[in-house]
Order: sequence, then structure tokens, then C-alpha cells
Amino acid sequence: MSTTHPGPARVQRSEPRPSAVTAKHLARAKVTRQRRGSKLKLWAGLVCTLIVVIPVALARVLPLPGPDQQDLASRRLAPFTDGHLFGTDQLGRDLLSRVLHGGQVSLLVGLLAVVVSGVIGVVLGAAAGYFGGWIDTVVSRLLEAQLSLPLLMMLLLVVALFGPSIPVITFVIAIAQWPEVARLTRSLVLVEREKPYVAAARVLGLHRFAILLRHVLPNVVKQASLVVLLLLAQAVLLESALSYLGAGPQRPFATWGRIISDGQDYITTSWWMVTLPGLVIVALVVGVNLLGDGLRDRARRRKASTS
Amino acid sequence: MTRSGSGPELSRRTLLRWGAIAGAGVTLGPLLNACAGPTGTPGPGTLTLALNRSLISLDNKLNQFDAAVTVQRGVRQALTMVGQDLKPRLVLADRFELTAPTQWTVHLRDGVRYSDGSPVTVQDVTTALEMYQQVNGSFIAGFFSEFPTVVPVDDATFVLQTERPIPVLDYLMANILVTPSGSNRPEELQEGIGSGPYVMRSGNRGTGNYSLAVNENYWGTKPRVPNVQVRFVPEESSRVVSLRSGEVDVIDSITPDSADQLAGLPGVRITRTPSTRINQLFYNFRKPQGHPLADPRVREALTYAIDGRALVQDVLVGSVTQADGVVPTGLEGAVKTGEYVYDPQQAKQRLDALGVRDLELKIIWESGEFASDTSVMEAVLQMLGQVGVRSTLQQFEPGGDILSWRQGKAGDWDVLGNGFSSPTGLAVSILQGMYAGTPEKEQTRDTYQGYVVPSIAAQIADASAEPDAARRAQLLSDAQKAVWATWPCLWAFVPNAVLASRDRVGDISLAPTNSYDLASARLEG
Repeated sequence: MSTTHPGPARVQRSEPRPSAVTAKHLARAKVTRQRRGSKLKLWAGLVCTLIVVIPVALARVLPLPGPDQQDLASRRLAPFTDGHLFGTDQLGRDLLSRVLHGGQVSLLVGLLAVVVSGVIGVVLGAAAGYFGGWIDTVVSRLLEAQLSLPLLMMLLLVVALFGPSIPVITFVIAIAQWPEVARLTRSLVLVEREKPYVAAARVLGLHRFAILLRHVLPNVVKQASLVVLLLLAQAVLLESALSYLGAGPQRPFATWGRIISDGQDYITTSWWMVTLPGLVIVALVVGVNLLGDGLRDRARRRKASTS
Repeated sequence: MTRSGSGPELSRRTLLRWGAIAGAGVTLGPLLNACAGPTGTPGPGTLTLALNRSLISLDNKLNQFDAAVTVQRGVRQALTMVGQDLKPRLVLADRFELTAPTQWTVHLRDGVRYSDGSPVTVQDVTTALEMYQQVNGSFIAGFFSEFPTVVPVDDATFVLQTERPIPVLDYLMANILVTPSGSNRPEELQEGIGSGPYVMRSGNRGTGNYSLAVNENYWGTKPRVPNVQVRFVPEESSRVVSLRSGEVDVIDSITPDSADQLAGLPGVRITRTPSTRINQLFYNFRKPQGHPLADPRVREALTYAIDGRALVQDVLVGSVTQADGVVPTGLEGAVKTGEYVYDPQQAKQRLDALGVRDLELKIIWESGEFASDTSVMEAVLQMLGQVGVRSTLQQFEPGGDILSWRQGKAGDWDVLGNGFSSPTGLAVSILQGMYAGTPEKEQTRDTYQGYVVPSIAAQIADASAEPDAARRAQLLSDAQKAVWATWPCLWAFVPNAVLASRDRVGDISLAPTNSYDLASARLEG
């Protein structure tokens, strides 16, 4: 594409433009700025996400003390003391190790939750959008009902009823997030089902399920999966919030919310116990959101250029 | 034609956008500022207390955690009270004398009356004792080997009659709060009137917030602080920040680390005193025969795994002392019975010799049961792990169902993190409450974690009924040694009572019972 449609700067170098619109104007144009911003978002998001995700994934192979290994004589050491990059907590445990291992729990819960919520959301949303009728009515009313409930209260209630274990927390976050995916999938499928290729497939005698699975879903799943990526950040935040409120997995499991909750009693004397885990959460959530935004913008541009 | 300006263009949209931002700033600025700062400092005549546990009632039939005593006694009073020196003092009574081994003669002080002006009567005392007996799961009832019967003599005089001698009845009656008989019920009273220096103006048991005002009909010297606000602030960091910002005047039950944070700050005062409380990692005595924990030798072996010095010095920052008895040795009648020794090698050897392998323990506790509770539990988890005992922790949030667990109704557990204080300042009260369990009480799960040793219960009963002080001390000593020999605790410690207050609050005398007299407090500015 770049060979057939050379960029404005290149045109200016080769021959003067027959227009009052200069390269400077084009560089300042909204579309150019949006494209540049989108690229910046993509890269910034990727960097922020990888800064967190790679060390978390490699937590077990990095030369770090165990997350629960206490050294009561080395309590609350400041960062960069005695080889503790993030310092130590109130029981002398290496804070970096706890943050990375805690991140594994938080990310695992987040990933599982978005996968489950993504599958439920896409299936129900696609069925509601494509088949319509009573299926649409049931699914739509269900998701509207759930969206009207206060999310954190609902999660706390379920965790209080079934106990704070990783499967329960994963499940409740997944259940909490499916309406977002379902709503988007339904609207995308509503658009797709009116397109001529669907009518053609119907004329050819394909079964309704086959049309939905083989033709409609592949055209909507990409955009839906971008929303799922954005939900990952929300799932990690929800898991941290639950742990912070005491509804996370039982001790001594390190989770980000619990590390912050434990550290807040020492906030005035040991700032790192709250600040550093907090910054890690911020980096991941901002990173994933920027990445999702950037990918969505790119997908939109591509769609616009192909249509 | 396209206009090509050289500088940035101020479009109408940009103008509107900036206008909207400025408008939002003007509108929300004061709101955000208010949110960022304290929600309101107490007025000049208002003392604000922040409690770590929710005060669900101003009555003590079911709950009497340490900090609650201060507020409950501000509204309702008893015949006596336990003073700073842990000796009984007269309150509603002006005479409380042992006139026979099983009889105490009591005379109500002239002019004692409730906030509505009605007098305190002998019938009110009779009803109060009946209500404390009838209520289910009473905290106070456990301290009484038997409840006395009231025999009226005249309008203001009566005899407290018991079947067996209770030589410490004047201490025990400090916990029976007197309420007009017509409004007393066998439950925690949410409203109602009392004879204390304050009356409840408003209260919410859900939020744990109460507002008290001076009792205009108070029979004694009127308090110097006109209003008292009681707030429930469970998060310790929030309590500390509230005190630092001046939003609250007094906070209690803070961790040693928080006390250290506050100690160097201007305008904040820290008060410490040895307490009458013992905090324990108590074994579950409801284990069936054959379970390792049913064997006292296993219980003893496990105690060698706990590094008490490290817990005291490093985790609890020297703010506690390791227990050397089954009750705090500062209590009257307490004796030293032994020491917890840290020797992990011996723990392993003893467990091996007893054939205990692959032991798994479940440790439960409620958040806020004692300062730095989670740190202590996590440290204990690692210490047990070092002798090959795997442990799991189960933490209950306040308001959870730990009571059902403790009673063995909701789930199985092995070690409970729990605190027990003596509201009377007597060793016998703790012994009575914890170690005097009987098979009959166990039927209703009213024993302390299933601790039922009939011989020890008999020893405690004999000691509590012994009128001769020297003989009673000997019996108590024997009972405590017998309890220690059963190794009821994995580890135990005695904390200091710690109170942090703003400088403007004066004359708060923190008692070893972790409470103080609200009526004697004063405010400057």
C-alpha cells in the first residue's frame, strides 16, 4: 500500500504539491495525529504490559527469595537494601518476589476470568443477535439485570457465600464481566446478519448454526476479543479489590490487593510496601488499556481502508 | 478557501472544551478539596473516639471487648467498678460488704438515679441479674460460678445470697450493668436509659457510630466534656490518619508499629500500661481421641517450634511479653507456671518419638483479635513449617461466622488465635471463663474451645469459693499449674494496653483493663 500511495512527506520531496495544503498541515491534521497517537498508545501499552508480564511470568526462574520466606531480622528494609530491589515487608519477605508471585495469581485469575467471560459473552451475544426472538429477549434482559447490580457488592456476596478460593473468585469475575462482551457481540452480529453474504449462505441452504459459526462469528470475533483484552485489566483490578477487602484467597497467598492492604498500616514509615505494588498494578492496567485502545484503532483503520 | 494560519487555531470546539473544564473545576474543586481533607474536626466540646471494633450495643450482656467498656460504662453503671489499681470501687452502691461466707450486704447510694430522673432500685438489680442469666451465649455469665440471689432488706439495702461462697463478688458485680427493670430484657439493649454520666443521643448498630451527650440528671459530678462521638473505624491505618489529622481525639488497640509512627508526632500522646489480657494460639480441645492434638505431649512438642523471642522482638516490636503462666501474671492470684521454649530440633524429635508425621494444622482467627494478628499468624505458619508441620490459615473478617467455627458447628480447625481479658483484674476470672468447663456446659458448646478437665474445673470452683485468702491463693496456684501441664496453648503473650490521643485531651487514665473513665476526661480548645 505504501508503494502505491506514497506518504505526503515523500511527495513534497519529489515534486511541489499542487495544493495549499502543505506537509506541515498534513502532519498537524487530525487523522495524522490520531494515527500517531494510536501508534504511540500501542507501543506504550506494549512496553508497560511487558514490563510487568515478563517478570511475573519468569518469577519462578528469577534469582529471588521465595515469596513466603520470612526473615524477621530484616523487616521493612528500604528498596535496594541488602539485595532487595523492592525492599522487604513487615515479616522480612522480599517485596519484589511477593509482587511477582502475587502477580501470577492476579494475572491467572484475570486471564481465566476473561477467557470464561469471553466465551460466555460471545456465545450468548451471538445467539441473541443472530436468532433474535425469545433468545434475544432472555439474554438481553439477563444482561440488563446484571448490569443494574452493583458489581463489587455482588462479588463480595458470592465470595462470602462460597468461600474465597481461586476458582470461586475466577468464576465470579467471569460472571461479572460477560455482559460487556455479550452486548458488543450482539450488536456486531446484528449488523453482520443483514449483510448479503449471510443471505447468500442462507439461499445456498446452509443451516443457521453453520452460518453463524462459519461465516458470522469469524467476522465479529476479532473486535469482540479486543474488548476481552480491555476486560483483562478490569479483572485484575477486581481481583486486587477483592483481596484488598479481605475476600481474596486465604493467606499466605500473596496477591496484589493483599500486599497493598497489609502495607497500608506502614504507609507513613515504609512507603514502598504500598507504593511499589500499586505502581505495578497501575503499569499493567494502563498498559493493557493502551494496548487494547491501540489495537482497536488499528483494526478500525484497516476496516475503513478495506471497505 | 482553506485558511492556513501559522499558529495554533482557537476553534469554537476548543473554546467550549476549555470552558467546560474550567466550569467543572470551579464546581468540583471545593468538593474534591473537602474529600481530600478531614471530613470534619471535632468541635471544642466534642470528644471523638475511634474504636477498632463495632460497638453493637451500649449493653454488655453479649459483647464486652476492651474498648467497649469505656463507652458502655459511660451510659450504664454497675454497683462497683474495677479501678486503676485493679481493686473494686463503689459506684451505685455505697456499701458492699461480706457479712457472711455466702452473703454480701449491699446498700444503694442515696440519690442514685437514671437519666430520666427515676431512682435506681433494688428491683433493678434483681432484674439485671436475672437477665444476665437468661441471655444465651453471655460473655459475663462465664465469670460467675453461680449467680447470687437478691434478698431485699429495705428500699435501698439488700443481700446478695449465694449457695457457695464467692469471695470476689464485689469484683464480679462490676460487670453487671443496672438498667430500669421495666426496660431490661434478656438481650443486648439497643436503647434505654442508664445511670451513667452520659446519655445516648443517637446510635446506629450497623455503622457502629454513637453520639453521647451529658446526662443532665447525673447523680454524681457532671463530666467536663459535653459531647462524645463514638466511631467505628476498623482499618488501623485510617484510625492513625484520622488521629494525625485531628479528625478523632482518641484511638485504641493499635499495633506497635503504628504506636511508633505516632510517638514522635507533635500533638499526639501515647499511653501504655500492662494489660489484663492474654492472647493465645489455643488448641482445639474438641478433637476426638486418637487425634494427635488430643495428646498433651504432642501439644507440648509443637510449642518448641515457636520462636517466641522473634515474635515478641521482631513482629510485635517489644510491645508484649511472652506469657509465663496461663493467665497474665500481673493479675491478682496469678502465678508463673512455666515458659515457652524455642527449640525446633526438640520439636521434631518429640514429634518423631510420638509417631506424629505429616501433621497438618488449620489456624483460624478473626481480623483485629489482637494487634499485628496477621503478621503473627504468618510467622507462626513458617515456624511450624520448619519442623515439618504443614499449616493453613483461615482469617475471618469481623462479622463473619467465627463463633460457629469456634463452637465446632461450622468447620474443623486446630488452633485458634484468640484473646481473653479479665474484666475483674482477678486471675480466677480468666480461669473460670476459660478452664472451668464442664461436660454439661459442653453440651451447649459453652466451654472455652472444648476445654473440659473435670479435676481442674473442681479446683477452680474450690478456689473461687474459698473465703480464706491464703488458702485461695494456694488453690489457684495449684489450678494454674494443672492447667499448664495440659499444654492448652501453642503460644501465648500478654500485650500492653496502648492508647493514642491528641494533646487537647487530658486526664485520660488508661486502666490495665484497656478502658478509662469518660467522665474524668477533659478537653482543651
